[in-house]
Amino acid sequence: MVAMMQNPLRPTSPLRLVDAPPEPSSTAPEATIRVENLSIVFDVPRGEVIAVDRVSLAVMPGEFVSLVGPSGCGKSTLLNAMAGLERPFEGEVMVAGKPMLAPRPDIGMVFQQPHLFPWKSVRRNIAHGPRALGKSKTEALRIADDLIEMIGLTKFASSYPHTLSGGMQQRVAIARALANQPRVLLMDEPFGALDAQTRAVMQDNLLELRDRINATIVFVTHDIDEAILLSDRVLIMSAGPGRILRDLSVGLPRPRSSAILTDPAYLALKRDCLDLIRTEGRKAFEQMEAVT
Amino acid sequence: MSTGGHNRATTAGRLSVLVGALSVPAFVGVWELIARSRIVNAVLFPPPSTVAVAVLDWIHSGQFFGDLSASLFRVTVGFLIGTTGGIMLGVLTGRFRLVSSLLSPLFHILRPIPPIAFVPIVILWFGLSEAGKLFLVVWGVFFTVWLATHIGVQKVDRGLIRAALMLGTPRRQMLSEIILLGALPYIVVGLRTAVSISFYTLVAAELAGAFAGIVYRIEIAQQNMQTGQVMGGLAALGLLSFVADRSFAAIAERAVWWR
Ligand SMILES: Nc1ncnc2c1ncn2[C@@H]1O[C@H](COP(=O)(O)OP(=O)(O)O)[C@@H](O)[C@H]1O
Ligand SMILES: [Mg+2]
Repeated sequence: MVAMMQNPLRPTSPLRLVDAPPEPSSTAPEATIRVENLSIVFDVPRGEVIAVDRVSLAVMPGEFVSLVGPSGCGKSTLLNAMAGLERPFEGEVMVAGKPMLAPRPDIGMVFQQPHLFPWKSVRRNIAHGPRALGKSKTEALRIADDLIEMIGLTKFASSYPHTLSGGMQQRVAIARALANQPRVLLMDEPFGALDAQTRAVMQDNLLELRDRINATIVFVTHDIDEAILLSDRVLIMSAGPGRILRDLSVGLPRPRSSAILTDPAYLALKRDCLDLIRTEGRKAFEQMEAVT
Repeated sequence: MSTGGHNRATTAGRLSVLVGALSVPAFVGVWELIARSRIVNAVLFPPPSTVAVAVLDWIHSGQFFGDLSASLFRVTVGFLIGTTGGIMLGVLTGRFRLVSSLLSPLFHILRPIPPIAFVPIVILWFGLSEAGKLFLVVWGVFFTVWLATHIGVQKVDRGLIRAALMLGTPRRQMLSEIILLGALPYIVVGLRTAVSISFYTLVAAELAGAFAGIVYRIEIAQQNMQTGQVMGGLAALGLLSFVADRSFAAIAERAVWWR
């Protein structure tokens, strides 16, 4: 099955999933995100867990890259390192040419849970970032109102988060992250907690949104459809310790719609990807069995 | 559900409201009858009418409002100082490991000692001054609020803190908004307990020696064998702490305004 992955190119179809050309590591200063030989190790009662194992990758300005892999393979940890929430044990993470040692307001993050401030209305949640960065109240609220319009929640501007549905809350979380006009938007399974229908709508919204903001996006998901639909590139991670197994360019035309998800050629490619992930998932499971 | 069942339910509801409304008057009535029947010693168990007269005398003599304001002052100021300190230190120990290592062991040793046990040393330190009374109330209130805040701060959703970090929230705002409001539901529970503790320590403070106050008046009446006045004092104290608890419950419900 892995052998089938050696050449996933299907010349018969306009839909192509191809191995990305190897990154020329010497001429890389133009990359927005550069991860160099990154390892992250956690101390746990029984010893150490290597969550990320010597990962290198680069994300170009304006690119949309997905990280896909079995759960526990270190996707969140890698993303947190890009966010400055996790320090490298070894190696380096550079965003816009500067090493990430702490969170920075030019990098926005959306988590699996919305994590909205429950004591703030939708409007004030979104205005939080600009206010924290020292913008005037009027200016911050103007930014918030523009974003509220963009996410289509004008009617709910003064509602409190707990009165909104999960999908609406996640839209507010995305708007809140965009309020600081981040250069990089990191998304950790942002639609993972939503039902299938809402998820599909959110994916369409994100595709539209992407053309209106010019942020570089790294998107973590375990849904291969979602990854291919949304991204320019899909990075497939191995079972823990997390390494990058494959780096695939998605040669699909944009703007995209979910119609591509039923194309036969696309399905064949997806099957290859799934086989790869499944093999990795089984490895992860066996590793866990061996530990316990 | 059938209409019959509904009616039965409301009938039962009305009955229990009626019985509830009669509970206190019935108790007072029975007490009056027993006290007047000479089954018991009327000096030790005066009827409610005697108690009422004693309370009216207390009010007319002008001492009542002096006693009330002295007690209210101790409870309120002690509560405010103790809870402010408890919240501030709770945020610090809950948030900063080093501050917690420094203070938590000490607080955990001091916390279980009943505040009343500090009366002798408070008298040695402060004599019969007002500062000593405040000290007891502050001491009683502080640890409960500190612990509630400390636990509340540690339970603040980590995701919320990370989200705030990613948005560039400054350190100060992180403590004064995200941490404090995140812990507020726990803090409010601590404050509610602190209300009753402040009354309980007030009793100890005034019994230890005072020149005015509701509990002080009870003690003086006891020395003069004015049982009616003693009971009137108890009723006043009960009413006062009841009103304080209920008002605080009402405030607390609105404190966590986003729920
Ligand atoms: N704070 C932590 N402490 C200890 N181990 C952790 C911590 N965070 C993650 N891990 C471990 O690191 C590995 C990768 O986790 P994570 O990055 O969350 O994976 P994913 O997001 O791909 O599901 C897992 O084995 C997880 O148990
Ligand atoms: Mg994860």
